[in-house]
Amino acid sequence: MKRAKTEELKTFFESLSDKYDLRVPVKLHDGTRVLGSLSEGEFAIEGGKIPQKPTSVFFPQFDEMFVVTDGDVAMAKPPAKPIMVVGMTAEDLDCLEFIDKFFAENFRDNIYYNKRDGSVVVGVSGRCGKDGEFMKIAGGKCDIELISDGECFIVHPYTDKGEGLVEKLQADECGCGGVHMEALRKESDALPKEDEETVDKASELIRQGKVTDEFWDEIATRCIACTSCNLACPTCTCFEVYDRERDGKMVRQRIWDSCQLDGFMREASGHNPSGKQLQRTRRRIHHKLAADVERWGHRTCMLCGRCDEVCPTEIGIKSVCREIVKRFS
Amino acid sequence: MTNSISCVEQTGCILLIGSNTTEQHPLIGTRIINAVKKGMKLIVADNRKIRLAEIADMHIRLENGTNVAFLNGLMHVIIKEGLADDEYVKTRTENYDELKAIVEEYTPERTAEICKITPEEVVNAARMYSAPEAAMIVYCMGITQHSHGVDNVKSCANLAMLTGNVGKAGTGVNPLRGQNNVQGACDMGALPNVYTGYQKVVDEASRAVFEKAWGVENLPGNVGLTVTTAINAACDGQLKALFVLGENPMMSDPDQHHVKTGLENLDFLVVQDIFPTPTTALADVVLPAACYAEKDGTFTSTERRVQRVRKACDPPGKARQDWEIVGDIAKRMGYDGLTYNSPEEIMDEITRVTPIYGGMQYDRIDQVGLQWPCPDREHPGTPFLHKGTFKRGLGLFGPASYMPPMELPDEEYPFLLATGRCYFHFHTGTMTRRTRLLDREERFPYVEINLDDAKRLGIYDRFPVMVSTRRGEVKALARVSDVVVPGHLFMTFHFEEAAANALTNNALDPVAKIPEYKVCAAQVRRAS
Ligand code: SF4
Ligand code: SF4
Repeated sequence: MKRAKTEELKTFFESLSDKYDLRVPVKLHDGTRVLGSLSEGEFAIEGGKIPQKPTSVFFPQFDEMFVVTDGDVAMAKPPAKPIMVVGMTAEDLDCLEFIDKFFAENFRDNIYYNKRDGSVVVGVSGRCGKDGEFMKIAGGKCDIELISDGECFIVHPYTDKGEGLVEKLQADECGCGGVHMEALRKESDALPKEDEETVDKASELIRQGKVTDEFWDEIATRCIACTSCNLACPTCTCFEVYDRERDGKMVRQRIWDSCQLDGFMREASGHNPSGKQLQRTRRRIHHKLAADVERWGHRTCMLCGRCDEVCPTEIGIKSVCREIVKRFS
Repeated sequence: MTNSISCVEQTGCILLIGSNTTEQHPLIGTRIINAVKKGMKLIVADNRKIRLAEIADMHIRLENGTNVAFLNGLMHVIIKEGLADDEYVKTRTENYDELKAIVEEYTPERTAEICKITPEEVVNAARMYSAPEAAMIVYCMGITQHSHGVDNVKSCANLAMLTGNVGKAGTGVNPLRGQNNVQGACDMGALPNVYTGYQKVVDEASRAVFEKAWGVENLPGNVGLTVTTAINAACDGQLKALFVLGENPMMSDPDQHHVKTGLENLDFLVVQDIFPTPTTALADVVLPAACYAEKDGTFTSTERRVQRVRKACDPPGKARQDWEIVGDIAKRMGYDGLTYNSPEEIMDEITRVTPIYGGMQYDRIDQVGLQWPCPDREHPGTPFLHKGTFKRGLGLFGPASYMPPMELPDEEYPFLLATGRCYFHFHTGTMTRRTRLLDREERFPYVEINLDDAKRLGIYDRFPVMVSTRRGEVKALARVSDVVVPGHLFMTFHFEEAAANALTNNALDPVAKIPEYKVCAAQVRRAS
């Protein structure tokens, strides 16, 4: 396997920018890391997960569904260049795997798959997290994984497409015969599992009906309905559809919605089955930890930690789960 | 705010008066919720049953417009029960005797009668507020938007000084400022009586500073018109031209009919804004401006913190930066001195002529902002004001007597109408009503009415009603609940199709000229 320096990776991605719509981690002036092209900021592969949900490259906040001009309907088309997204963590890749499944269930959501089909996904892990933290190794679920050993990245292709691309990467072979990789894998396996255990335990307690409405009410009082938790969550897929007319054209768009809003479930009559904050807060967590377990056979919170980081009132899913476990087990 | 937002975590008690904090300042609201969880006492003095009222130690639903009586009542109890900070009063304040004489009349019984509360509530609130080492008063428009708003503010200050709660962490008199940069606008002299940093135009020495900096002579030494009096002057024909930047007085000023008459009476109206509004509809010239995400510069927060903002995208079409537009107009009028190359250059000038901003150069506020006063480059900024001494030396008690609002309910208009805001819309809705999901949250104009009143009048939840006052009439959906007390109505001014300010009273505070948005007499009935 190849072992590449950060600079070599940058050159590699740069060389692919003709063929791909590149979304790599870059650092903006104010220090924020975002997914963008290399011209938008300094290449910043290290530093942990990207604060914004990386699944937004396939399911963006605003997306055009179709355009109607004089009665002619033009459906949204695939992008001119396939998307190449770099920097997904192991948790992000779990999220992506789930929304791939979600957008293919019952019918294939073409607006999503227009972007997803033909795309290249590059994961990142190892000793390049925030403040040097070790990031879990995914071991698959992407085309290529970049695994940091603290100095360089071991470049691990998992698909044919990935292998084809890595051939063009100018970097030395690792030459250790896999010893290196084995050590990193061990380190990954030894990562603490507290979050996982807490969330699984909370999920169990919710499903057993042990969590009271008084509890949800108490948590819900703190929610200011800013919707950040939903907007940051890579497995949140709800959207609102609306039409915009401009210059004789009608564009139907979809835009991320949030179950924390009153209007999310309100009927035209004004009746609202989720008309109270208690119900909305409960729903947000219940959905991912109980309802989805029934439907998909697993929880749909992949522990990426974004909702906990963005929630201004500290009621992201992990903090609520910790509270649930403390009070109800 | 005299103090910092973080003081919420350092205080023993908050007296919250006239602020719906979780809706209008949600992050501060959250800090209050968290502080209550950790044992901080919270007194909510507000007529409406706001979210914080549910977790408060006391919720006192005093009648709108009776704040002075309520605050005087608290001070009466504090003095009578020996709960004042005598040492502080003696060493840091003056005019105590006058205060004492005036609040003497406000016994718990008399206060309770004026405020329509119980004497016990007055006594208990006084004890609760004065008990801890540090207590804060936090207020908002429920204090200021009255025909006696200045008296209300002074009374808050009196109460804080009486208990030694000014000039240390976790205390203070803390108005929560509204818009992202209303504090900055005031700091920059967007007021009729001051230059930047509150340097008075009537003061010859401050005029000299600006004459020198701008290379001009004879800057006018008279105080200009406030927004509300400018409209009156336009109606009288004394004001001929008006340049409005980023305001929508047709929606935000009291008595819409009066505002329209005034604006139509002008010879020339220029409006600079980011979207068409009912005010741009009346303008002779509309100048498209860049919005917050399209500009570089600073915003100054409610805790006097000057913070950098950075442009995220280019302005659309012909929209330009406010400072460029103003500079170009000045140039065409024959003055080159307002031409700059960048916001940073403007900031440099600000630091040169504004002592409280003296040390606020861009390199110092690049990542984290600083709180004024920050007079020089070595100064770390000021988390709370009046430490050790007040700006004027001793803190002056400015006691006030209770005066009723200008227009009270009567037989013809039996309800008390207050106006305000809701969580999902900002001001006149220019931006938020163009935002899909925010508009979906609150799509229709509404009026809050108490269950008992609704029942008596045959009004049901979400049914259309007509709300009228001596100024006008609008149609809105009834929102029936116990958020308002019987006899009260509450409306927001976000909706063009049912402008609450078609109803409000253009009664002004004699000093600050702020309108009485929180009290007028109204009537409500089923529509058709
Ligand atoms: S941690 Fe929060 S943001 Fe991340 S997947 Fe779970 S619910 Fe979504
Ligand atoms: S981020 Fe927190 S406060 Fe905001 S909507 Fe979600 S739970 Fe509520």
